[in-house]
Amino acid sequence: MRRSATWTILSAELLGLRHRLLRRKPARLVGLAVFLAAAVVFIGGGAFTVGATAGQFLPSARDSMLAGGFTTLSVLMLVIGFPTVIATFFVGRDLLQLVLAPVRPIEIFVARLLLAMSANLLISLILLMATLGVGVGSHAPAVYFVLAVILIFLQVLLATAVQVILMSVVLRWVPARRARDVAAAVAGVAGAGFYLAWNLSLRQSLSPRSRPDLSNLTSFVERIEWVPSAWPGHALSAVIAGNAGAAGTWLAFSVALAAIVLAAAEILYERTLLTGLGVFGGPQAVWRRSAAKPAAVDVTGSRGVGSPARAIALKDWLGYRRDIRRLSRLLPAFIFPLGYAVSFIRPGRSISGFWTDVFLVGFISMFMSSALATPSIPSERRGFQLLRMAPLTMWHLIRAKVILTLPPVLALTLVFGVVVAILSGSGIAQLAGLAVLVFWLGLGFVSIGVSAGGIDPRFDAADDRRAVGLLGTLAGLGGSFGFGLLSLGAFALFVFGLGAVEGTTTHLGPVPTTPAIGALMWAGGLILATGAVALVGMLLWFANTRLGSYEGTIAAT
Amino acid sequence: MASPAETGQIAIEAGNLVKRFGVINAVDGVSFQIRRGEIVGFLGANGAGKTTTLRMLCGLITPTSGTARIDGIDIFADPLRAKARLGYLDEEPFVHPHLTGREFLNYIADLYRMPRGTERQQRMEKLLGLFELADRNGELIGAYSHGMRQKIGLASLLIREPSVLLLDEPTNGLDPRSARLVKDLLEELASRGTTVLLSTHILEVAQALCRRVAIIDRGHIVATGTMEELRAQAGSEQASLEDLFLKLTAGPESKELIERLLAPKQ
Repeated sequence: MRRSATWTILSAELLGLRHRLLRRKPARLVGLAVFLAAAVVFIGGGAFTVGATAGQFLPSARDSMLAGGFTTLSVLMLVIGFPTVIATFFVGRDLLQLVLAPVRPIEIFVARLLLAMSANLLISLILLMATLGVGVGSHAPAVYFVLAVILIFLQVLLATAVQVILMSVVLRWVPARRARDVAAAVAGVAGAGFYLAWNLSLRQSLSPRSRPDLSNLTSFVERIEWVPSAWPGHALSAVIAGNAGAAGTWLAFSVALAAIVLAAAEILYERTLLTGLGVFGGPQAVWRRSAAKPAAVDVTGSRGVGSPARAIALKDWLGYRRDIRRLSRLLPAFIFPLGYAVSFIRPGRSISGFWTDVFLVGFISMFMSSALATPSIPSERRGFQLLRMAPLTMWHLIRAKVILTLPPVLALTLVFGVVVAILSGSGIAQLAGLAVLVFWLGLGFVSIGVSAGGIDPRFDAADDRRAVGLLGTLAGLGGSFGFGLLSLGAFALFVFGLGAVEGTTTHLGPVPTTPAIGALMWAGGLILATGAVALVGMLLWFANTRLGSYEGTIAAT
Repeated sequence: MASPAETGQIAIEAGNLVKRFGVINAVDGVSFQIRRGEIVGFLGANGAGKTTTLRMLCGLITPTSGTARIDGIDIFADPLRAKARLGYLDEEPFVHPHLTGREFLNYIADLYRMPRGTERQQRMEKLLGLFELADRNGELIGAYSHGMRQKIGLASLLIREPSVLLLDEPTNGLDPRSARLVKDLLEELASRGTTVLLSTHILEVAQALCRRVAIIDRGHIVATGTMEELRAQAGSEQASLEDLFLKLTAGPESKELIERLLAPKQ
């Protein structure tokens, strides 16, 4: 009997995954298993508990919660899924091999769809646990649980197919020479835009922020009742309510929509597969530079000896300018702070106090650093080997990456900080304090981000977001969290200590604010700041050591 | 009398190099010395350990044991000094796809701290002209063909005039004219004192260019010497390099395998 090509493609991928897992050291495999088990217990268990509690005690909000949950899942998948969809459906030499083989495009489509869904399915597990929790809390019939699994799978399928349609539409109707740029921009902006719109609407529905009101959430979800992403939620809540007619109707709507979207995605994909391979398969054929424009690098008139740090920085800058895919991945990092800043500028919104500004600045600095600095070393790809062969140390590389990443992080965080400080009515002294904090946090978070990339780089990763391994990710998250806490703690002690010394702070809870207490606070602040510096230094040292002895991808290629 | 190593005539020295990947011994006790100005062919079947040996010699991967010296400098004890004298071209050259050829050469020159200015620019133009890449201004390396990448990779070595070249399949993907250019260039460089260790599958290239060859098989050096020495070793005075190579890296007879493959189905 002839085996289907879809199954052959999937088994090859599964076999590859098995080999990749078995190639890891046993200790790393155990670590990964423990991490996954902890994630399932804490995140999955948490989601289940929230769902069960809500199902038990908030029966009137079940429909809103389920509809909102399904919409949130769709938005999340759209935010993070585009690069995976592009990479799975339109990039890769294995895809070329499939096109050349006597394999029907629909078989390629189905295999690729299932592969592209794998990441989204992991995210959907959170919704699954919450939905199962709602079912348990509401004492739902058995059919609810079966339907929940089917509908969540269908939702993931639907979101992935929508992304394929969007990419195919770009490829089909945008001229080939622009298609790559437009697709990358759509992928970058659409995800961030969806998230921002969803987040801001939700925030608005929960205002005033200090007193979340469930009726606001309910009214918000009522507004999105007819959004297709909410239909499976309605179907499930109708099952709980025992309303078979409504459940059947919403279910029929959901299944019909999925069928239509899937069929459209398949038809469009079949027609754009070859164009997509050409457009996404490699870098732009010709860099469109006007003849009159001088070369980006010209050393005829310059003097002195070449600087490796400058060379790396210039190369990265040119790479960012010309690699629209890489640039598009940065768009969310720029859109989020701007979006949040805009949301604060809107009339009727006010920020209460200086400390809110401090925490916002801390969050933005950490977010920007993580987006820009973490992939900076792994993004060298095979070019890392040039650096290893050159007469320079890994400190040179780390320093160059920090120097290159710092200015955009500082500039954006500073602008954001100044805007929120002015809006919240902070004085000059507070503004100056905030500016110092921006520089401190920027330097620390960027160094931690660069270190995280250096500790566990994946130079063979096609996507910057997968360019750092588990160890690097954990080091980055843990390091940032620790540095943030120590820094903000130190900052608080300095500010309150100064107030105590000058006599402007009269009380700090039960602690009397004498000049001596102020001096003690300053000493404590210094200790915390020293701890923060030591943490950053330790991560930089670890990254330098690991990079110096790195040979993972080098040996493999 | 002082040995070549003592007089500083040895440019490349592998001392009992071993590299283990898990349970696999990719390279198992490789030792050889190459004198200044020599071109030595490094031959071996696929997976024999050629690339791993070259990558250890240039400091890209650390040996499990053994030493590697470039111009007498231990590459793992004093990497910066050794690397400054060394040029390594991988079979798939390391290039940055989003730079133009000129930008890439400037990048490499800066990494090696070469003086900026007119002299560098002129050398770059000469190299781009030599490899017929000068008219590709504005085109990114990502759009280059395999042969063109090979050429820009070679140019990136030559712009900084290293005294030792480790080349892994340098004529791979080159058209006959460019391949000839590379061969002539290597001979000229060697005559001026540059040392070349050349790993290749093309035995004609090795026979034409190299005064000595080293043959590696399953991680061991199985033969090293001039053609005459290898013939004497194999006991066959008229043998070509291909015959010697096949004899020294003995595997199943290809003729027999082909016959078995194409035999009519039972």
